[in-house]
Amino acid sequence: MANLRIEQLNKRYGATTVLNNVNLSIEDGEFVVLVGPSGCGKSTLLRMIAGLDGASGGDIHIAGKLVNALAPAERGIAMVFQSYALYPHMNVRKNMTFGLKFTGVPPTERERRVAEAARMLRLEELLERYPRDLSGGQRQRVAIGRAIVREPAVFLFDEPLSNLDAALRVSTRVEIANLHRLLKSTIVYVTHDQVEAMTLADRIVVMNKGRIEQVGKPLDLYYEPANLFVAGFIGSPAMNFFEAEVEGIEGGRARVAGTAFRNLDIPAGSLKVGDALTVGVRPEHLVRGEAGFFAAEGVVELVERLGEASFAYLRRVDGRMFVAEVRGRQTPAPGETMTLVAASPDVHVFDASGLRVAT
Amino acid sequence: MPEPVSNITVQMPRAKRAGLLLFFLGPAVAIYSLFSIYPLLATMALSTYTSDPSGARSFVGLANFETLLGDALWSKPFWNALRNNLIFFAVHMCVQNPIGIALAGLLSLPGVRLKGFYRTVMFLPTMLSVVIVGFSWNLILSPLWGVAAGALKAVGLGSLFAPWLGLESSALVTLSLISVWQFVGIPLMLIYAALLNIPEELIDAARVDGLGQFRIFFHIKLPLVLPTISLVSVLTFVANFNAFDLIYSVKGALAGPNFTTDILGTFFYRTFFGNQLQLGNPTMGAAVATVMFFIILLGLCLYLFLVQRRIRRYAF
Ligand SMILES: Nc1ncnc2c1ncn2[C@@H]1O[C@H](COP(=O)(O)OP(=O)(O)O)[C@@H](O)[C@H]1O
Ligand SMILES: [Mg+2]
Repeated sequence: MANLRIEQLNKRYGATTVLNNVNLSIEDGEFVVLVGPSGCGKSTLLRMIAGLDGASGGDIHIAGKLVNALAPAERGIAMVFQSYALYPHMNVRKNMTFGLKFTGVPPTERERRVAEAARMLRLEELLERYPRDLSGGQRQRVAIGRAIVREPAVFLFDEPLSNLDAALRVSTRVEIANLHRLLKSTIVYVTHDQVEAMTLADRIVVMNKGRIEQVGKPLDLYYEPANLFVAGFIGSPAMNFFEAEVEGIEGGRARVAGTAFRNLDIPAGSLKVGDALTVGVRPEHLVRGEAGFFAAEGVVELVERLGEASFAYLRRVDGRMFVAEVRGRQTPAPGETMTLVAASPDVHVFDASGLRVAT
Repeated sequence: MPEPVSNITVQMPRAKRAGLLLFFLGPAVAIYSLFSIYPLLATMALSTYTSDPSGARSFVGLANFETLLGDALWSKPFWNALRNNLIFFAVHMCVQNPIGIALAGLLSLPGVRLKGFYRTVMFLPTMLSVVIVGFSWNLILSPLWGVAAGALKAVGLGSLFAPWLGLESSALVTLSLISVWQFVGIPLMLIYAALLNIPEELIDAARVDGLGQFRIFFHIKLPLVLPTISLVSVLTFVANFNAFDLIYSVKGALAGPNFTTDILGTFFYRTFFGNQLQLGNPTMGAAVATVMFFIILLGLCLYLFLVQRRIRRYAF
């Protein structure tokens, strides 16, 4: 168990920059999820923490120790790979003890750790089997077991659930959460699935194009996204965006106008007349109504019924679409014109550079 | 009953299915029969005949084989050739394949620069004609005008030089090593391709487990390419017991000095076509060829039943 500090980390492959000045501090015992679109550099960051890839610049500290020059096995980490990466020619027991042999763990201690991990992960029956005779979920548990027996300070997971089917993904997710509560170790977990990120994380790190866009608790990211990217990335279906402009400023309040919604009134702050803005509202925060802090109109084109809620896809005045969640049995009919409103805390405003503006 | 592979063919009218089979399998079967199976059977048939000086042939059953293995005039050179062939094979197994494996392992290390260049250079001799290789090495190792003596002298090892190709004690091993030099590219390429197939994440997992590149090679990569190594061994076996050209181009059909480099291929050649004072004897030659066929068959059976069944291929 240990904290993890990443300072000014850079990674370049030739002319392409994969990681750009990444700074991140992770507390002892924290479960941190790196999330972002495919290709944003999550795996690269994780592999650099593991020591599998070298840095082009910057420092990594694990448990207060600078580990830049250390080999993966000396860093006190264990890694679970997306493909599980079990050794195909070794049975489950051997897969778990193999690494311990080379790090000088005595045989009795090895057996103790394997027995404990097997009990924790319900692998006792499978110890003599070979990876080829295991299901995807079982392989996944063996891969986690191989990480546990190393008794690492930091666990690294790279999209560990993406090769599992939907039902197994949910149950394994719960198991990983339980495991974290049990082991209380520091975990860095990579995923492109925001549901995994939201459900597992103490803190989420949203990455985009090699940069960290925002670090925060799951609900903070959801309710107070720091910028347009995070606002659009977290939440499903994605947040609706409306183009807007500052039309006038009076008495410290700015009047925000757009073609597709009724005027808004927000604190002026440093806004100037003519500034371009983006107004964002999540589908689940829009409700049918006449007047509210935010109000927009649209003609229903399509309704998706999921059961507990339905999603109405509406055509706005400016020709673009937006989505509203409708609860209950009464769903709107295509062709119907609806007015949808949202309360002030649920309306996000971003300036021209994409940064959040206080409302 | 085994499941039919495809319902489409099962539901076809019989005639159409036969037509389809003929279309896809016919050419291969025809060519294989004409150029492989027919000559093999014809050779076996020929080995049961003998011809008198007039050229008339008469059926003698297995008499040729009795002569070959029983008559000292025939059996001594035969056993000599077989023994030499085994040495030839052993040198390839002990030198060529380990070097091929080691070079493939080195090439597959991360961060090796000029990989393509090394690969090409190491494979180049394989693409040369055996005649050219034999002739070149003959010149290189020649005590009269070869560069080997001078090269050794230049580094102070001149006393080590000997006319290796001319000594009875070293000629066979020297020829084997020339062949190794030429063909090391084949195990190299096959094993290198197999190594490339091992997923990167598996190697990463081993690195996280604390293994260095050396241990990764022995504990992870090598066990996973065992099927390819065994395939390479079989290919080596078949190629070595069919070898002829290198000995012939360096030493001629007499496989000197004093038959110390005679292998089954050259022995067969002299028997069948004749050489200098020896008259060609097609029926005895056919008997030698048949014995060679059964030696290779036996080797392959041993491999299939003893080795192949124990080796497992891994799907990644
Ligand atoms: N060895 C490499 N050489 C060049 N570019 C690479 C290499 N490895 C990764 N990249 C690039 O780095 C970016 C980030 O990759 P990665 O960290 O795997 O993304 P992800 O967030 O999907 O895990 C990608 O655009 C990828 O093309
Ligand atoms: Mg990735």
